[in-house]
Formats: sequence, structure tokens, C-alpha cells
Amino acid sequence: MSDLPVIIDIRSLCRFYRMGGQTVKALDNIDLRFRKNDYAAIMGPSGSGKSTLMNILGCLDTPTSGSYELNGQNVAEMDEDELARVRNREIGFVFQTFNLLPRLNCLKNVELPLIYAGVGPEERLERARAALEEVGLADRMEHKPTELSGGQSQRVAIARALANRPSIILADEPTGNLDTATSHDIMEMFGKLSDAGNTIILITHEEDIASFTRRTIKLRDGKIESDTGT
Amino acid sequence: MNGPIRQLRYETAESLNMAVYQIRANKTRSFLTALGVIIGIVAITMMGTAINGIDLGFEKSLAMIGYDVVYVQKASWSTMGQWWKYRNRPDIETGYASQINRAVAGNPRSEVLVAVPQMSTFQASARYRDRLLQQVFSLGTNQDYPLTASGDLSEGRFFTPQESAAGDMVCVIGDDISTGLFPHEPVLGKAIRLKNSNIRVLGVFRKQGKFLGLFSFDNQIVMPLGAFEKIYGKTTFVSIRIKVRDEKRIKEAEEEITGLMRRLRRLTPGQPDDFAVNEQQAFKSQLDPIKNGIAMAGIFITGMSLFVGAIGIMNITFVSVKERTREIGLRKALGARRRTILLQFLIESVMICLVGGLVGLVTAVSITFSIQFLLPDFPVRFSPMLVLASLAVSVATGVLSGLAPAVTASKLDPAASLRYE
Repeated sequence: MSDLPVIIDIRSLCRFYRMGGQTVKALDNIDLRFRKNDYAAIMGPSGSGKSTLMNILGCLDTPTSGSYELNGQNVAEMDEDELARVRNREIGFVFQTFNLLPRLNCLKNVELPLIYAGVGPEERLERARAALEEVGLADRMEHKPTELSGGQSQRVAIARALANRPSIILADEPTGNLDTATSHDIMEMFGKLSDAGNTIILITHEEDIASFTRRTIKLRDGKIESDTGT
Repeated sequence: MNGPIRQLRYETAESLNMAVYQIRANKTRSFLTALGVIIGIVAITMMGTAINGIDLGFEKSLAMIGYDVVYVQKASWSTMGQWWKYRNRPDIETGYASQINRAVAGNPRSEVLVAVPQMSTFQASARYRDRLLQQVFSLGTNQDYPLTASGDLSEGRFFTPQESAAGDMVCVIGDDISTGLFPHEPVLGKAIRLKNSNIRVLGVFRKQGKFLGLFSFDNQIVMPLGAFEKIYGKTTFVSIRIKVRDEKRIKEAEEEITGLMRRLRRLTPGQPDDFAVNEQQAFKSQLDPIKNGIAMAGIFITGMSLFVGAIGIMNITFVSVKERTREIGLRKALGARRRTILLQFLIESVMICLVGGLVGLVTAVSITFSIQFLLPDFPVRFSPMLVLASLAVSVATGVLSGLAPAVTASKLDPAASLRYE
């Protein structure tokens, strides 16, 4: 499709769980590649393994077997602290429930990943401001999450994901808690971020939302059922 | 600047902010949690204060006996109570004092400065007109007594060598006797009645306080030996007070005195001593184990209350970890490492303990000062060491009680925590 560099390279990846003496094959021999500036949706019914894939992509979980290279680093063999560093540097998370810390204002919420990256206070503030301006919340910086609407909260979360300039933005049902109009606003924002060169992977079960992206990957029973791009 | 250190600094600053926020957001809970530490620290510092106070009273008392005075007596202080050992020993005679003084006069290297005889009885009572004091401590000695005793005169003078030699009916009295018999009138020159004799007051000792809370040096009447014998007869308790040249060389002095006494008693080398040479060290070695026992038991019992407080903090930190599972998951997703999470919860529990410790300390100090103000004689003493020690104990409590929950938090699986409801 393009000759942009491969950011994520997953080969023969399996993730099994043991539950009550039975082995559940959440992901079964998956091969998957994402290039820079991909804008992809991962779809599938519940139990299809999309949450597991999301966790593995986000370095929150490690595979049972197979390899996962993220920007040339073999993530599958990293220990917990190395994974934490990779999550901090390479991945920006956006969650269905926003996951903002209610006692911190928007700026402080956006600064959080920068603190874990060891960025100094002045630069932290500057980058958090820039990220909030990028998502159109220049006038809400000092507000607490409780004073924001759902759409605004999700935009703060997106700003937080952008703050550390990650290689990929990983969004888990980012519109799941939003009404249709707001959902479309958020998807337009992702579109703009994609146009600006970001790599975005989102998980959704709504066709409507997936249609905003340029690539759709469908999972079923831990295997890839279809993939509109490579 | 060094990257990891800088990062640790930023993370710690963030954890401190979060800890302050958590404590303020859950005021009641934080207060109740800290209360356990407050009570523990108050108990421990009060105990420490009391132990310090006992020490202080102890030192004061030992100073009254004198660090550089040894006492030649029939019985030894270090085996008090075993009277049967000493019952058959010959009595000490007042004449030994002058014999010792004569013996050391020719020896420039002697450790002995001066020996003073003393006859005494506790069974005395003193009367002036219609006022009667019972159980006063009557003491017969010579003009050298002030060299061997603590305490100056607040008024008047001690008796002279002439008065001493003649056995004049004159005396110097303790402060309690002065205020007891002469509450509103001048003392000097008055005659008080001891048994059937009148004796004239020459001077009054400055107030000294009680010895180990047992008996008071302010309760004594000191007179020449001759006067004492006229009033009480010869069959009383005699000891020789000996002032040594250097309190650091008191052991050598004791050996010298033992040698002199053995010569006076004409003991052959095989015979055991039939007298005792006593000094304040004997009290110390007897009372130190008691004091240490009290201290150990006290610290142990009060330590239990702090332990209970620590369990409270551990409990509440576990609850806090449970409540904030999603937050922990999020922080990990954003790049917090295990030690970052560990540190965050440790800082929180240490902060609660430190605040509790400070409040406890302020409470303990206030109580101490109130006691000193209301009951000046009660032995309490606060020391800077105690402040440092209790703050250190608070921090240690925080670390110990926060460690298990903080480790639990740091080990949480990020993916599962993010989904935790």
C-alpha cells in the first residue's frame, strides 16, 4: 500500500489464558503489520479477542508465543519496567471511560505521561498547553474533568495521548460513552490527527465509527477474519 | 542533569502532591488513621519523658550523696537487706575519723582528703513551743562536715572547731525544719527542743529536695558530736564520711581506705573485712537494672499502641489501593513503573504517619509542660533526642505499614486494573 516504515510487526502471535482448567485461545496465530500513518479500526464481536489484541498492542500484556516488534524493539521479551518505558514513549492511550484523574485539572492530566518521561516542569506545561490547543480546548485548561462534557473529556484524553508524541495512538472504544454527534466530532478529530501524520489504531464494534478509518481489521475467535489493507 | 534522578525527582514531587491531595480529600479517614499514630507517639514520648525524668531525679539524688564522698559503715549498700551478714560486726567508732586523718596526713600521695565522723538517728523529734516535728534526722559530726556534704547555708553559719570540740549545744537545721518550726519568724538564735535538751540554731541549709523520693536532706539537724551524745547517748548509728581528692580515682581511694580500716581493726590478711566502704556507685548499680526494667516494659507496652496504629494504616492503605485500582492501571498505562507506584503509596502512608507523629509530639510536649507547670516536683524531662526519635519512629511506622499495600499496588496487572470496576 505504501512504502512508509513498518511501526508494528506482529508474527505468529498467540495469547492463551487458562480458565478453570481450560485453555482459552484469545489470539491464535496472528500476523499483523501497521505502517506509519496507518489509520485502522479493529472490529469484532465480544470474545473475538480484540481487547486482548489491544492490550498486547499497548504493551499492557505480553504474548504467550510469537513476536511483536514495535519500532524495531522486541516487546515480547521485555520486563515490566521496560514495558512501562515503551508505553510511555511509544503509545498514547485513549479509553472508552476517558480515565482522567478527577482531582487534577486538564493541564495536570495531560502532563502526567510527561512526568513519567522525566520532562522538566516548564517544558511539561508548554507541551501540555500545545496538546490541549491542538484538540481545541485552549479555554478549558484549568478546568477539572468534572466540569467538562463527555466530548470535552475525551478530547483531554486525546491531548494526554498526544502529549508525549507517541509512535501510535491506541484508542479503545473511544466513542463508546458518547452520543452520535459527539462521536462524530471525536472521529473528525482523529481524522485530523491522522492527516497530521499520526498513526492511529482504534477498537470499536460500530461499523459507523470504523467507516471513518482507512483500514478495517475484523477479528473472530482469535483469528483475523478480514483486513482491508496490509 | 542525570536523567533517571531527574525523573525520580519529578515523580516524587507528583507523589507528594497526590498524597497531600488524598489526605485532604479524605479528611475524616486520614484523621482517624493518624489518630492511631498520634496516640502511639504520645504514649511513647510520654514514656520517654517519664524515663528521662526518673534519670534526672536519680542523678540529683546521687549528687546529694556526693560523687566524691565514700562512707565507711557497718553494712554495705550493695547488699542491703541481708542484715544477718553484718549484725555481728563490731560497730564503727567516731574515733576512726581522726585516726584516718592522722594516717593520711603524712602521706602526700593519699587519695583521701578528709574523714569526718557522723552519728545519726531517724527517731528524733524536734519541738519549738507548741510546734512539733517528728521523724527528723538528727546528726552529730564535727566542723569538717560541710566539706563532705552537698548544700550550702541559706542563712547563719556552721559551728566552729571550738564549738565542735566543746560539744556546745548548737545546730544547723534543714529547710523543712526551719519552715516547719518557724513559719513566720526569724530562726537564728532560737532554741529548739530535742528530747529533753535545748539546742540553739546557728544556721539553715538551703533546700535540697528528696533523695530518691525516700528521705529528705531538708529534714536534718546537724550538731557537734558532743551535743549529739548528750541528747541521744552513744548507742546510735555511726559512719565515717570521707571526701576523696579526685572522684575519678574513687576506686583507688576505696582501696586505700579499706587498707587503713583493716589496720585500725587489726585484721590479719586471711580475715574478711568487718566493715563496708560505700559510695553512690552502689546505689547506681542497684537501681540501674530496676530503671532499665521499667524503661523496657514501658517502651514495649507503649510500642504496642503504635503497632495497633500501624495496623490501622496498613488496613486503610489496602482500602485505598483497592479504591484506586483503575488509577493505578491508568498510571501504569501512561508509563509509571512499579517503583513509581510503590513510592506513591509509601509516601502517602509515611505522610499520614509523619503528620500523626507531629501532632502526637505537640500533644506530648503540651502535656509535659502542663505537668511541669502544675506539679513541679514530678520528674519529667523532654529532650531533643526524644523529638528526633519519635519522628524517626513515625517514619518507620509509615514505611512498615505502607510497604505491604504499596507492593500489592505496584504488582497490579495494568490491563486488569484498567478494567476494574
